[in-house]
Amino acid sequence: MWRLNKIHHKSRWHQHNIDELRLRRREQERALRQARRDRQLVSKRLLLYEEEEQTGVTMETASGEQDVVSLLLKLQRGGTEKEIHLKALSKVLRESSAQLSFIKQENSMHLLVGLLTGSDAQCRLLAVRCLHELSYSPNTSVASACMAATPYLLTFLSGPTTKFTETCLYTLGNLCPVSEAVKEKLLAQGIIPALASCMENQRHNLAVVEAIGFTLSQLLQATGAIQKIISMVMCSSLPTYLVSFLTPDSEFGLGAAIECAWCLHYLVCSSEDHQELLARGALLHCSAELVSLSGAVTQGHKEDGMELLVCPLLRIVGNLLPSCLVEDLDKNTVFTLLVDALCVFLQAYLSSSPSLARETAWVLNNLTAHSTECCSAVVTLNLVSPLIQLLPVSHGINTMVLRILANIVSKKKELCVQLVQLGLLSALCSTLKMADQEMVTLSLDVLYMLLLTSPQVKEEFLREGGASILEIIQYNDEGEIRRKASYLVDQLLLTQQQHTV
Amino acid sequence: MSRPEFYPLDNISAASGNSEHDPTEASRQQLPEDGNPFSFSPQIVRLHREHDMFEDGDIHRHLYLQDLYTSEAEDRTTLSVSEFPCHISGCSALFSSLGEYEHHYNSLHRNVCSSCRRCLPSARLLDIHIQEWHDSLFAVLAQKQDMYLCLVEGCGQKFRTEKQRKDHLIRIHKYPPDFRFDKLKKERGNKGGRGQEQKVKVIEAVNDVCESEGVCEVLCNPMSDQPEEEESMEICEKEAPLMEDMPSPVQDSEVNALPLKPQYSSRLVLF
Repeated sequence: MWRLNKIHHKSRWHQHNIDELRLRRREQERALRQARRDRQLVSKRLLLYEEEEQTGVTMETASGEQDVVSLLLKLQRGGTEKEIHLKALSKVLRESSAQLSFIKQENSMHLLVGLLTGSDAQCRLLAVRCLHELSYSPNTSVASACMAATPYLLTFLSGPTTKFTETCLYTLGNLCPVSEAVKEKLLAQGIIPALASCMENQRHNLAVVEAIGFTLSQLLQATGAIQKIISMVMCSSLPTYLVSFLTPDSEFGLGAAIECAWCLHYLVCSSEDHQELLARGALLHCSAELVSLSGAVTQGHKEDGMELLVCPLLRIVGNLLPSCLVEDLDKNTVFTLLVDALCVFLQAYLSSSPSLARETAWVLNNLTAHSTECCSAVVTLNLVSPLIQLLPVSHGINTMVLRILANIVSKKKELCVQLVQLGLLSALCSTLKMADQEMVTLSLDVLYMLLLTSPQVKEEFLREGGASILEIIQYNDEGEIRRKASYLVDQLLLTQQQHTV
Repeated sequence: MSRPEFYPLDNISAASGNSEHDPTEASRQQLPEDGNPFSFSPQIVRLHREHDMFEDGDIHRHLYLQDLYTSEAEDRTTLSVSEFPCHISGCSALFSSLGEYEHHYNSLHRNVCSSCRRCLPSARLLDIHIQEWHDSLFAVLAQKQDMYLCLVEGCGQKFRTEKQRKDHLIRIHKYPPDFRFDKLKKERGNKGGRGQEQKVKVIEAVNDVCESEGVCEVLCNPMSDQPEEEESMEICEKEAPLMEDMPSPVQDSEVNALPLKPQYSSRLVLF
């Protein structure tokens, strides 16, 4: 079954040429971006057969339609060769033409369900395999045909077998986004309690946990009826389990943690009331996990695909912080460790994944905006200079970093002199000249706060040619910027005149 | 790339413990009584699911689900840096580093003649320019003695006419013979009198700018063929050194809410 011990290019795409794969990826990326804009971002997962897993070679599928019909006839006759025919059917059903042919045949699904619920265990496994192939189809009518089997699939979730359960889960997960009607039906059939009990029974098997996480994430990504889904999930034991599976396993890898993290992210960002999740330790666990992952980065053990876990963890922390009391933040040391971890990620992902670096900066902004202790931590952990060095980088990173520095200046005025010594004022003399209006505005804000702290800062600024910089800014396009610059110029001039008197 | 939207929470003051600045005020953007336009306060940002900032991460997540994910950086966009604009109005140059911007500014916008607003490449050439173009005494002396100084520093030779100097530059200093020396000195307006617009016809150069050191001027000229006297723009000469010379035309007759921007356009000057 499908595993993520190591992310590698699946040759399922029949592309051994690396360039073709790249092209395929780029095309798919474009399609996904458009889908996201249309609020239609869904994906399905297809399990590979074990032999495909092992050899890395996808089997060739036989030609479709005729085989479907003949196989179904053979299966109807029954007999000892059912397994062989079912296996052949599952391979044939990978083709879309065969899938369409299948659902057109009378009683085909009825037959399959019969085999699914029959006494032959191997046939059950193969029958669910067939359903899984059908569920993966992008064709709505094909996938919807599987609904006849879902009550059984849900019942099987509370069973003990793992392989079988996994396939059931991924099949259900693929069906969730097919349509609103399908989703409603699944909810009515009790998919959420079924997932919860499956988790309770099979939590020792990470492959199943990953599958549960995937299926749940498919439900939580839905836009319709999301509040209903969330309240059902929160009533169950699922959130507690999700929180407990955020650590990658040394053997199994990242797979389960990734799915659980994304589920939590969807839970957090789709609702405003986070007290339940906070009570179950979501913020603490995610923060601790980020700290642990950053340790791996520092030691050079950055795992392939770690960003897939770091990303949802960051988002969970970033969006939970507003709901957390600052007293709770300050009394727990994990958050000062988190400050360091975030700076590690900033450096690590700056060039390879700028959007992830930006999200990291966002979380750090929230931390420093919220907690004065975290502001101090930035300074005491010698993170100010690395942050200042990020100020030239655009992609929205420098504006966020400047906000972080502004937070520190605002909340820890006594540290301003130190910040100036570390080069903040010189950096501002550069950022004030940038084309990015947000950078200029923030720079003026920070400058203003720094100038208020001491006359030495004022003198230092003047020494660095600050007066002429401000004069130039008085010609800026934006009124707000001009007003701020003029205000500062007046302030400075006032002081200068006072000195000459 | 869109900027993050900030969603200040209504009860943030309870959560932030920051009693000094009420964050909700920041979103109102009102000016307090004393006209202080500054109102920064730390903002906790909540991002909703569909936010632009989440786009890349979502895409990677789905590429992963579809077995197309790679952590190789080859598909990643290259890191971009914030740009620095030239602040001279009309000059739309952008630079990716402060050093580049400063080089540009020094090369093209410094050493501006306060009489005719022309930009000279160096202080020395500015001096020569002022002397030859705006000094009435020079004109008088030039009738009787060699006044036209060779433009190449260190040469020191002087010539009776501009043409002689030009020939010298071509012959001795190997300036290209096709260099555009057309100077319309006779069309220059009256010299002297600060604040007078110099109505000098400038022939717009073709794009092949001569790169010879020092001789080629980039003109920053507001008036050329526009009759801007009607606007009665009085160009104030600043006492400040040239590098601070950011001309701010002040209008006596009109009351403007905003200070007028100096109008600059880039044209190639002839020498």
